[in-house]
Amino acid sequence: MSGLELVAVELALHGQPLFEPVTATVPPGEVLSITGPSGSGKSSLLAFACGVLAPEFTARGDLRLDGRSLLGVPTERRRLGILFQDDLLFPHLSVGANVAFGLRDGGSRAARRRIVADALASVGLAGFAERDPATLSGGERARVALLRVLLAEPRAVLLDEPFGKLDAPLRDAIRRLVFERCRERGLPVLLVTHDAADVAAAGGREYPLREPPTARPAND
Amino acid sequence: MHSELDPLTRRRLLQGALALGSLTAIGDAVATAREATGRAAARLDWNAILRESRGQSVYFNAWAGDEAVNRFIGWTAAEVRRRFGITLTHVRVNDPAEAVTRIVAERRAGRLRDGSMDLLWINGENFAALRAADLLYGPWADDVPHAALLDRERNPTIVRDFTIPTEGYELAWGNSRFTFFYDSARVARPPTDPPSLLEWIRANPGRFTYPQPPQFHGTSFLKQILLAMHTDREPFARPAAADFAALSAPLWAWLDAAHPALWRAGRAFPASGPAQRRLLGDGEVDWAMGFNSAEASRAIASGEFPASIRSLRFRAGALSNSHFVAIPFNARARAGAMVVANFLISPEAQARKADERYWGDATVLALERLTPADRALFASLRMGPATLPPTGPVLDEPHPSWMIALEREWARRYRGG
Amino acid sequence: MKAALLLAAIGLLPVLAGLAGTIAPALDPAVWPELAATPGLSRSIALSLGTGLSSALLSLALAHGLLAALASRPALGFARALALPLIAMPHLALAIGVALVLAPSGLIVRLLSPWLTGFEQPPDWATIQDPLGLALVAGLVLKETPFLLLALTAALAQVPAERLLLQTRTLGYGRLRGWLVAVAPALQKQIRLPFAAVVVFGIGNVDVALALGPTTPPPLAILIWEWFLDPDLTRAPLAAAGSMLLVALCTAVLALCALGARAGGVWLRASAASGWRAERDRGARGALLGLGGLCALLGLFALLALWLRSIAPAWRFPQVWPMAPGLAAWREGSALLGAALPTTALLGTVSVLLALLLCVAAAESLRARPRARARLAALLFAPLLVPQLSFLYGLQVLLVRLRLDASWLAVVWSHLVYVLPYVFGFVAAARAAIEPRYRDVALTLGASPVRAFTAVTLPMLGRPLLLAAALGFAVSVALYLPTLFAGAGRFATLATEAAATVAAGNLRAAAVAAAVMATLPLAALSAALVAGNALHRHRRGMPS
Repeated sequence: MSGLELVAVELALHGQPLFEPVTATVPPGEVLSITGPSGSGKSSLLAFACGVLAPEFTARGDLRLDGRSLLGVPTERRRLGILFQDDLLFPHLSVGANVAFGLRDGGSRAARRRIVADALASVGLAGFAERDPATLSGGERARVALLRVLLAEPRAVLLDEPFGKLDAPLRDAIRRLVFERCRERGLPVLLVTHDAADVAAAGGREYPLREPPTARPAND
Repeated sequence: MHSELDPLTRRRLLQGALALGSLTAIGDAVATAREATGRAAARLDWNAILRESRGQSVYFNAWAGDEAVNRFIGWTAAEVRRRFGITLTHVRVNDPAEAVTRIVAERRAGRLRDGSMDLLWINGENFAALRAADLLYGPWADDVPHAALLDRERNPTIVRDFTIPTEGYELAWGNSRFTFFYDSARVARPPTDPPSLLEWIRANPGRFTYPQPPQFHGTSFLKQILLAMHTDREPFARPAAADFAALSAPLWAWLDAAHPALWRAGRAFPASGPAQRRLLGDGEVDWAMGFNSAEASRAIASGEFPASIRSLRFRAGALSNSHFVAIPFNARARAGAMVVANFLISPEAQARKADERYWGDATVLALERLTPADRALFASLRMGPATLPPTGPVLDEPHPSWMIALEREWARRYRGG
Repeated sequence: MKAALLLAAIGLLPVLAGLAGTIAPALDPAVWPELAATPGLSRSIALSLGTGLSSALLSLALAHGLLAALASRPALGFARALALPLIAMPHLALAIGVALVLAPSGLIVRLLSPWLTGFEQPPDWATIQDPLGLALVAGLVLKETPFLLLALTAALAQVPAERLLLQTRTLGYGRLRGWLVAVAPALQKQIRLPFAAVVVFGIGNVDVALALGPTTPPPLAILIWEWFLDPDLTRAPLAAAGSMLLVALCTAVLALCALGARAGGVWLRASAASGWRAERDRGARGALLGLGGLCALLGLFALLALWLRSIAPAWRFPQVWPMAPGLAAWREGSALLGAALPTTALLGTVSVLLALLLCVAAAESLRARPRARARLAALLFAPLLVPQLSFLYGLQVLLVRLRLDASWLAVVWSHLVYVLPYVFGFVAAARAAIEPRYRDVALTLGASPVRAFTAVTLPMLGRPLLLAAALGFAVSVALYLPTLFAGAGRFATLATEAAATVAAGNLRAAAVAAAVMATLPLAALSAALVAGNALHRHRRGMPS
């Protein structure tokens, strides 16, 4: 079975379940949009997928990529790329170094530099390699963050409301860019959002998180 | 607490030694016996000691309150390294008493060898305390080669430290006389006895003070005043006892009269002799005191004192004592310590010590026993404008118990505020 | 977790062992009546309590007041920049410098004489070592206000102070009143430990009291210190008993402070509803700023006086500039400094490197556990709440027994006890402030945990680490009693030399040692600031 599978995934905070168990499949090149109000545990679900769930959470269920369980696999070997609402560019590194951080090992320095430069050029950021990320606009930063993820050659991509902070016109462009690039690469994409426009743009299925019977609001 | 020297035992030891004077009595007997048989043949195999000392590290705990002294010890370190291959480290202490504390701590901790100190600069109550608790190595001091040159006859303090017989447990390396320094531009007729000093103090309020006892310059000032007020000084050679109150009464009366007219109205005192020297140098007071008149000449030469500073000693005599080096019972480098001690009383080191460009401390050697060449080293010494010759009447140090009693009584009267 | 346990063990074991070692001789029942019979003991105690408590309260009030008056103003950055060097300056050096400024023959009277005062000789005024300990209080306030200012600033990071203050001001409250009602209570919890440390230091310090405190009688800590160093062997149990008394006094005062804080809170809540706005506080703010400025000026003068004294062979009153200044004292001191300076620097460097290593590891392992982090920080802080004198003697006896006295291990360890709380506080806070998802991002990009740490976390910690290192270095340079006791008097550092020379009254040599001692941490601090700026020069996104 190829693609990303969530099998009866349940999260609980201090023993309190956040949502009803989630079972869903994301085939390669498609987007699954998980929706729910803020505080419903969407972001925690992605943290679970990455393997960086905070210790106060407990998780049950399974997560599979191309048929193999990822539970027990260290985060750095899961090869799940993630984009957050905040771009989280490393503030101490240049734009180029941020992108190169994602780039897999190998190749000469010159070759790596060229790949980074080409990648930046492909999203309209030619010549940005030496810039300080703090000097970039929101849209520029979002594109750098996307490149960083894609150059790490992920096998699936997780999107944590990545367009929420962008202005409306920009949001469409970035949204299109992200989905396009992921589709080109045949990556399964798991999107969590509370924005219906995101779901529409993604074009895939929607999976609303359901509150468990005795749910209490949790920190999203 | 498991300890071979619990506090009560130590207290009893100290009281036993100081109050009953039993040590003095035993010491007397020993000293007399030794004098009768003449100098004992050297029991030390000096060549073996020299061999053993080569390469040793000697830690010398010595008062570091005076830069001239520190420089002299620095010179000594360079010399013993060159001559004997000994590494001498000056462990700087404020008060020789700190070393006593440390030895006791080591004894309590059961460190019977490889102690942290090899040589101590010591005298008086500290020597008495360490001897009473048997925390010194010895006897050795009478048997180092240069000990034969010591002037025991004219300087009885060399063998009797604050009345306690040294018995070869410490080696004298300098003599001191209590000296006042004053600004001759402001003190027209220098007072030379307690009553005239009191008169001057009351006529010049705020311009006199003395270091705060129990700092040793301060305690020495008390003893200097006390002894100068008595003509019969015999009782002071005995441990302070029931007669303490009566004998010390004139001192307290003198202080009670002087204190309101002292610097800071007697409510604060300089921390030490050198601290008061700074006050004199800065012009806050007109008097300072020390054990060495060359100190004033040196301070004039360095610009620390104005040129008008002079020295004086009381007509009745200057409180005088010797200072010594001793080896703790658990010293690591005994041989090295003895070689350094012997070097400290070599004619060369003594001549440098007597030279007031370096220190200016009176020698402990009998010059007539030196070779003519060595004697010449002393002949060429010059004296500065404030230096007094090491002559004139002296007042022997009282028994160490007086020191403790005076310090306690001073604290009771004046320290509580 | 292991790193955190190791850290706690290193920070606390010496204190616990030392306290046990000091209590043992104090159990001798014969020693308590002797202690009680000490001349002026009650006045010594009163002095210690009075100077310690009043200086701590004054410092806290001044630190709060300055922050309130300067909040959301550019001058606040300036005030903080001034606070850092004062914090870095060792207590002892600052106290010696202040003595040289305030003394009747000090810089101030010289500057005014004889043209204004008419003094040709220094007046016989007790401007230092005064019987009430006012000079001692001034010295302590000068040193502790910047410390509390910085501690409050750190606590402010967790409180929306500017918005709270703005809120109160739009409701018509004066700045000071608004701060007192809305902001100060929110800082209360975080400032508790630093304030307690200031109280305990004020009551139990030897460093400042030695240079500025009265001597007839002296504060209790000085009495104990003298007893420990007394040749009269019977005084050691007395000193131990005195130390226990000091611990009891500190505990009682801290309990009193806790009660006072609670009562103050009740009063504040009651008065908050009273509607009293104190909107005309310009005068009070001016006075606070003036006082703060005075502190800064006094600190600057102290440093200046140290340097002047160290180059003055004679400094006859009323010269301001010494006649025939020269480097004689420096030459005399060169042998001494030649040994003490490298020892001090090496000791500081080794202590700081070890502290950084331990603290970074512990902060990393506790990065997602705020409660464990706070507990560890409080544990590490505990030694600062115990008077140094009370456990160092016991520690010395223990070290001698283990044959570790005067060893580098012992001295570095004793320094770590004091360096760790500051370094950990700084590093843990900085580590916790880093957005945790940076690390997650690095991991999802395929970086191993080690690489995520070295390539992302560590560089982002760069500037705080440098500052923590400078601060830790300053703490190490300043340590006198721990060096004296653990080093068996054989470790000659700038602090031991400065203390020895000032206690011996050799002010010129003390000035040399203190001048170097004050300058060394300042140099380290400047280096850290410069290096910190260079580190991320072109990265505006790095918080400074």
